[in-house]
Amino acid sequence: MRRVVITGIGLNSPLGNSYEELYKSLKEEKCGIEYVKEWEDIKGLGTKVAGRVKDVDLKAIPRKYRRSMGRVAQLAAVSTAEAIADANLSQELMSSKRCGLAFGSTMGGNETMFEYMPEVKENMSFRGQNSMAFLKMMSHTVAANLAQMFEIRGRNLPTCSACTSSSQGIGAGYESVKYGMSDVMICGGAEEHHYLSAGVFDVMSAASTKHADEPHLSSKPFDESRDGLVVSEGSGAIVLEELEHALARGAKIYGEVVGYGTSCDGAHITTPSKEGMQQVMETSLEDANLQASDIEYINAHATATARGDIAESHATHALFGSITPVSSTKGHMGHLLGGCGVVESVICLLALNKSLLPKTMNFETLDKECALINVLSENVEQDVEIVMSNNFAFGGINTSLIFKKYKKA
Amino acid sequence: MARQDEVYNKIKSVLMDEFEVEESDVSMEANLFTDLELDSLDAIDLMVTLDKELGIEIKTEEMQDMRTIEDVCNFVISSIPVNE
Repeated sequence: MRRVVITGIGLNSPLGNSYEELYKSLKEEKCGIEYVKEWEDIKGLGTKVAGRVKDVDLKAIPRKYRRSMGRVAQLAAVSTAEAIADANLSQELMSSKRCGLAFGSTMGGNETMFEYMPEVKENMSFRGQNSMAFLKMMSHTVAANLAQMFEIRGRNLPTCSACTSSSQGIGAGYESVKYGMSDVMICGGAEEHHYLSAGVFDVMSAASTKHADEPHLSSKPFDESRDGLVVSEGSGAIVLEELEHALARGAKIYGEVVGYGTSCDGAHITTPSKEGMQQVMETSLEDANLQASDIEYINAHATATARGDIAESHATHALFGSITPVSSTKGHMGHLLGGCGVVESVICLLALNKSLLPKTMNFETLDKECALINVLSENVEQDVEIVMSNNFAFGGINTSLIFKKYKKA
Repeated sequence: MARQDEVYNKIKSVLMDEFEVEESDVSMEANLFTDLELDSLDAIDLMVTLDKELGIEIKTEEMQDMRTIEDVCNFVISSIPVNE
């Protein structure tokens, strides 16, 4: 069986713009959520907090490529460039048919949509519209733009499934390598900061509205006093590679992907199903040929909504009981939507390589309706070999990834 | 001549602001595709911007033979209604 390892990482998040910065922020228990003053001007938007990416030079992307990218694709491009450099992939390898992409986002460029649609609709005319608007806002804008910028000529799988966009990207990449369609897959996802994304959750009463004065207290996954999620932005890319291929070129190895499951609740459009969540974790364990007792840390999706956290706690408890350490890192940075799966996967790699099991920020008392799972309220330093990352999206789409520490034979 | 200068300066500023072309690369003789490294989509967007900013109506299907900035200049001038 072909084994799949991670050989490159790039990310841009509210907690930093690299693997090391993310580690430092988690270690120092930093929070990347802040008050967004300009959202005060939007009528009917209750949430005023978000996590944003800072200190990233998007203008460094050559205009030739940047012209068809909204912020979402630009963030993904910067993360991907970092991951490629980190993995030391040659252009010859990247442009071979054995290297592909799997990348997604919830939305295309939101801001472009807001510039383009009203003008066309108001005038019922396309006069004066440039040719780039559609390319910035189409659903697969991230995957399409990355492919042209990095000259990827293998498979290109856009995985646009809202909050599972990037975890499905990693899963699709893992399966592509494992089953021999590719030797290298560059995988991930992204989301850009925009009031449209925040508004979507706000109108469903799922966004946090009570802590504009103390933004760091906004996101409280699993806690009884939580009042909803914080919509943030971020992007990440990881390079997946077949083990022998990676060893042959002397690549650095961050860890191994050993299990993946994806499935759908096939029930309610937004209300998550405990059964669906449990099933996907079981599928991932089966794929990895592991028992639940083999998992030593779980990075939960837990966004701090009432229903999501409860369902996830019950699904997790049904398989893992009350001992396995669980944390949601959305207390630190909010919910990166299309970017969360990949950044949380990187947090799992930090757990494997740096023995850091991050706490759930702002977690004090488990909601009484949650099942009794072991939610970490403090950072734990512990060597772990096998960890799981779970994500769930609107539409009942579920993913579960299992990562294992890589040891030289 | 005054009109040609005006149109040339407008094209130059659009190329620099929207297409990030270096000022030193802009000249009447500069080829949009080989010298300025634009492509057919950029050419359309250049004309759309000029259309908007100069209030003229440019039919993109008539742009086929444009190569140099001078071609763009002449095309824009010919698109400005005579009675203005």
